[in-house]
Amino acid sequence: MSHAQTRDMSTKNLRIAAMAGAMGIAMLGMGYAAVPLYEIFCRVTGYGGTTQRVDAAQAATVQATSRVMSVRFDSNVNSALPWAFKPENPVDRVSVGARDMAIYIATNKSDQPVVGTATFNVTPVQAGKYFHKVQCFCFTEQLLEPGQTMRMPVLYYVDPAIMDDPETRDIEEITLSYTFYRSKDGIAVDPATGDS
Amino acid sequence: MTTIAADGQILDDHAHDADHKPAFFQRWFMSTNHKDIGTLYLIFAIIAGIIGGAISGMMRMELAEPGIQYLTGWVGAGASMDEALHLWNVLITAHGLIMVFFMVMPAMIGGFGNWFVPLMIGAPDMAFPRMNNISFWLLVPAFLLLLGSAFVPGGTGNGAGTGWTVYAPLATTGSVGPAVDMAILSLHLAGASSILGAINFITTILNMRAPGMTLHKMPLFVWSVLVTAFLLLLALPVLAAAITMLLTDRNFGTTFFDAAGGGDPVLYQHLFWFFGHPEVYIMILPGFGMISHIISTFSRKPIFGYLGMAYAMVAIGVVGFVVWAHHMFTTGMSVNVKMYFTAATMVIAVPTGIKIFSWIATMWGGSMTFKTPMVWALGFIFMFTVGGVTGVVLANGGIDDNLHDTYYVVAHFHYVLSLGAVFSIFAGFYYWFPKMSGRHYSELLGQLHFWTFFIGVNILFFPMHFLGNQSMPRRYPDYPEQFAYWNEIASLGYVVMAVGVLIFFVNIAWALVAGRKAEANYWGEGATTLEWTLSSPPPFHQFETLPQIK
Amino acid sequence: MLKTPENWGKNKVEQVMTHYVKAWILALGLILTPAVATAQDALPAAPGAEAAPAEASVDAGAPAAEAAPASGLDPALYTPMKPTEGVGMPVDGGLDFQPQVSETGKQAKWINNSILLPIMTVICLFVLALLFWVMIRFRRGANPEPSKTTHNTFIEVVWTVVPVLILLVIAVPSISLLAQQFEPAPEDALTVKVTGYQWYWGYNYPDNGDFEIISNMLTEEEANERGEPFQLAVDNRMVIPVGKPVKMLITGADVIHSFAIPAAWFKLDAVPGRINEKVLQIDEVGVYYGQCSELCGARHGFMPIAVEVLPEDKFNDWVRANGGTVKGDEVAADESEDGAAEETASDDTTTEGAPADAAAAAN
Repeated sequence: MSHAQTRDMSTKNLRIAAMAGAMGIAMLGMGYAAVPLYEIFCRVTGYGGTTQRVDAAQAATVQATSRVMSVRFDSNVNSALPWAFKPENPVDRVSVGARDMAIYIATNKSDQPVVGTATFNVTPVQAGKYFHKVQCFCFTEQLLEPGQTMRMPVLYYVDPAIMDDPETRDIEEITLSYTFYRSKDGIAVDPATGDS
Repeated sequence: MTTIAADGQILDDHAHDADHKPAFFQRWFMSTNHKDIGTLYLIFAIIAGIIGGAISGMMRMELAEPGIQYLTGWVGAGASMDEALHLWNVLITAHGLIMVFFMVMPAMIGGFGNWFVPLMIGAPDMAFPRMNNISFWLLVPAFLLLLGSAFVPGGTGNGAGTGWTVYAPLATTGSVGPAVDMAILSLHLAGASSILGAINFITTILNMRAPGMTLHKMPLFVWSVLVTAFLLLLALPVLAAAITMLLTDRNFGTTFFDAAGGGDPVLYQHLFWFFGHPEVYIMILPGFGMISHIISTFSRKPIFGYLGMAYAMVAIGVVGFVVWAHHMFTTGMSVNVKMYFTAATMVIAVPTGIKIFSWIATMWGGSMTFKTPMVWALGFIFMFTVGGVTGVVLANGGIDDNLHDTYYVVAHFHYVLSLGAVFSIFAGFYYWFPKMSGRHYSELLGQLHFWTFFIGVNILFFPMHFLGNQSMPRRYPDYPEQFAYWNEIASLGYVVMAVGVLIFFVNIAWALVAGRKAEANYWGEGATTLEWTLSSPPPFHQFETLPQIK
Repeated sequence: MLKTPENWGKNKVEQVMTHYVKAWILALGLILTPAVATAQDALPAAPGAEAAPAEASVDAGAPAAEAAPASGLDPALYTPMKPTEGVGMPVDGGLDFQPQVSETGKQAKWINNSILLPIMTVICLFVLALLFWVMIRFRRGANPEPSKTTHNTFIEVVWTVVPVLILLVIAVPSISLLAQQFEPAPEDALTVKVTGYQWYWGYNYPDNGDFEIISNMLTEEEANERGEPFQLAVDNRMVIPVGKPVKMLITGADVIHSFAIPAAWFKLDAVPGRINEKVLQIDEVGVYYGQCSELCGARHGFMPIAVEVLPEDKFNDWVRANGGTVKGDEVAADESEDGAAEETASDDTTTEGAPADAAAAAN
């Protein structure tokens, strides 16, 4: 082999290695990008029972139908958060398409002001993309003073499109579940509105 | 003529005649020779295999009968029962990680890949010999970190007790202490080692084939390593990202997988299995390659359906990336998602079937001899078929609702890995050992090793199907009395298997001390790839004149 | 069965093994001496053991039950049922699945035993037969001159297409089973909420006054006393009515657990921060055991599940014994529990589209 050939191979080696390395780095980036992408994917498709968030104007365009279904409200409190947290009513019967307000009641049982934050999903999970929240305490963090009790509203409706989807049209009861955690960074927001 | 060190430097001819070897330290610790590095990998894999196998021995000892018999003793005086039970989780975690990352992968890709890819494509060495050395030496601290993690606090007791899957939140908020951090760092190092190795293999295979060796003339083992290297390159970075996020969740207050901060523990599982499923093909594909050569050699027939074989591996690799969530059927997914992953997973049976039948067709019309590597290969084909059909059962999302995380799954993946991948490693080892060492092993001990091991692992793993049917969950240190019968038999199987492994070591020792000298092509006319044109062992530097492939 | 810390080490083999393994692990660990040394310094009582005292043995250490033990319930209303040997639990030396007591379970077991298992067996025997055939027919002695055939398009197409067809045959019942398993619960289904804790289960009955059952594993003595299998028996069982769909809501409190009832072909993960739902319908009265099926820490193996399935009236008695409310009972009861929800619901249907009114009605 001549020197020129050798140098050729060496450059080509480096080029292929660089390409392979770029693939690896791209996949590493994909790994991280998966976090926001997964979030977007869940939001768009309602994957895992992720609920949809809409503004009031959008919600106003939806017409109530005669189909009635149950919405069950479930609540959980992480053991690190000294709160009591329960829905006012465990079940509401609502017309599909009609806006409804559910109330959760939270009480800070400790003698410290505590900021809580809630995660949520609905089941059956395929109902996620048809469960629209107009307003929810879960959009922001919540501050409760010692001993304070707060009524936390959720304004929601079930999209009438749920009746057209073969995967969801047989659903008779949707469960909306919240789990309250102690906020990690503890940023207090205006607890009165619960809106962002 | 000049020799070429494959990183492109031109070396003086006279300084490096073919068999001039550097001094001991230089040769083994600063090695840039693919064969020496391959040997290091194989020795490393054997050591890791002994440790991982000893751990499974401890596990089978504890599971031999109902009740906690040994864990309390092993964990040491003064420890609580919870610490003893935590030790169990440390053992299952270590067994899994060691066998995957420090035994099978180093043996197949690092060991046989390094040794034979350059030989088979007629290259003088790997494309980046020094990077090759770094790849190997990253594994050593990785392994030490993992072993060391067993001695530092990891939650309820010492060591990382998270399972090899390291699921959040058990691995984050559920395991306080540095053990899990050490295990994660260990995976980082092992992953970096494999990624560098993968880049090296891809470059070598794509660019350093001897003149005339087109991709479609490449030996199937090289094909298998090429596909494996791409799987590594695409899958491992995702694992690296996932476990890095675990690490920051644990130590720096991020909440990627922590519901408290809006994260989702299920996302970790998606990321893990996006890596984890290709990983199982990473462990088996090089085995497929080796088995092809062995079957062909001992049938004295070229491989049947070469292109189908090569592209079946490519197909397995590609489909392997879109089936990951079948490991997550019980995490709560909608029916459409479950149906998709059921269907996609079952598709893998097709290319796998092509391989099984092509091997049989290779033997069809052949002139077969049943030397040690061949009996291992035949054992592989049957055992892999058994493991494969239980995989089709588990692929059904609706059936998996009962079998998920039971011993049926344990039986399944040990049939494809312990009886699949490990059988192919032994087959490859016996096939190439005289080539690598220049010494013949004892054929009698090789056959004895096969039969003891074969009987042992079947007694060990087959009853696990029954335990799974009866719904014994995985990762249990103890069980109700109703599971006693098959557990006792499984533990007996372990002993038989262990005797088989002992015979293996006796055989190696015997071969190295008293083995007959091996000629260049000791398998005869059936062995047609380039490594058989070289002496046994091959010269320290080979193919200084590149071979011409017709 | 579990040995207490006092009597370990009595066994000689065990002692030898202990020393052997320790010496061996230590030797490996020597390289890491600095790390090990600091680790020893920083090794106080087990961290993360807030759920239970670190000294506790598995038998005794489970968190004290918050609810009254089953034996504490009014015996006029409820006495725990004796399990049937071989039903709802594994059988020693058993080969097959546990007898199935749910519709989907029977279907799934049938698919496995009547479709998958025969196909699997035939494939394995076919491959084995081919292997034996080539080994005999094409051994060197019988066929000294190998053929050179490396292609046969027809056979290659056959072994690609036939597996595809087999998979299609499997896919049909498999997909219909999935569809069956995902049939949503009817609106009036009883709801049971399951929470996995390290290391016990909690069962809430939101439709029955939201009382909570805390379920811990029984010790060996207690289990024997009650005539139940140790490591499967619990102090307080989850009780459901027979033959009715039950909407199971499952979540985890700390790490991921998995709720499993093998006799009903039921398994679903308990993931913290989210709820999972699946319908459980058991058609035969009895006691059915399961075990946590996702690694959740030290006592993962010691948080069994026991489900007792009762006729509806007996189930209602059990609810009353636990201080819960039963639908139809609320004539006497005040309207703070179930009744209020029902009324609100009926209000809502007439005031649709008016959230403020709905909220007012709820008050």
